Amino acid sequence: MNDVDTGERRRSGETRPVITELIDEATVQSIAEDAWTALVGEDEILLPIPGELTGDIVSSWVDVVGPWTGTVVLTTGRETAAGLTRALLGDHAPDELEDEDIADAFGEIANVVGGNVKAALPGPSALSLPDVGDAPAVRNPADVCRLDVLWRGEPLSISVQGALPALPGAPQN
Amino acid sequence: MKILVADDSRVMRQIVIRTLRQAGYDDHDIVEAEDGADALAKVTSEKPDLVLSDWNMPNMTGIECLQAMRASGSAVPFGFVTSEGSPEMREKAANAGALFLIAKPFTADTFNEHLDGVIA
Repeated sequence: MNDVDTGERRRSGETRPVITELIDEATVQSIAEDAWTALVGEDEILLPIPGELTGDIVSSWVDVVGPWTGTVVLTTGRETAAGLTRALLGDHAPDELEDEDIADAFGEIANVVGGNVKAALPGPSALSLPDVGDAPAVRNPADVCRLDVLWRGEPLSISVQGALPALPGAPQN
Repeated sequence: MKILVADDSRVMRQIVIRTLRQAGYDDHDIVEAEDGADALAKVTSEKPDLVLSDWNMPNMTGIECLQAMRASGSAVPFGFVTSEGSPEMREKAANAGALFLIAKPFTADTFNEHLDGVIA
């Protein structure tokens, strides 16, 4: 991608929406709550309270490519991701979880949250398969809608973040 | 009745199968497929009475699987179970011949709404 500011885009009047113009934290929270209730358990709640993500953390994400292009990223502690995996597997959870189980389950939560975020955005858009690992970097701080919650007292963040750098002259908040 | 459940996520296949049981469809044979290509092969080899398929999968997507099935003359009832629940995706699914699209996340009630007329 060419990040050199030639002024061409300003001259052509190109604009693209940032995520905060398209979706808000309350909508992301509602999407996440529905996913938790259906997948994790009927009584599972997400408290909208920020917690500090430290230590061994893991992210899962899906990309949305369309009028808005970016990534829906879930990040939490590895132990919390393991807890989510056990909740999803229910009676089928093995005594010892493999990394593959956690990648599958945590990735699928990102897929469900991301698919519903995509449906709330202008289309048409394409959704990628989920990926798990270190979170993709934030490219444009103004193009981020981030929700911090606690699940069973453990911090988890959901970041809907643009994949493209800021346009020249765009405000950086 | 035999139901083919296609999803690249093993966890999601288990959740779909568990939800089928919770919705009362607990006396049917279940066959699993791990992507669209696997599902397409098992439509021939396993002869399911219903296919429940994810949309986004590696190797072959759910809609590619459905299109290949219909192109080969298979009329097996087919429904999507996918995180892609937008009106645009529902239209694409219907145009390709899908009976319904269940959006993730779903509940047993959602399964009943869509499957009661399909599963005897």
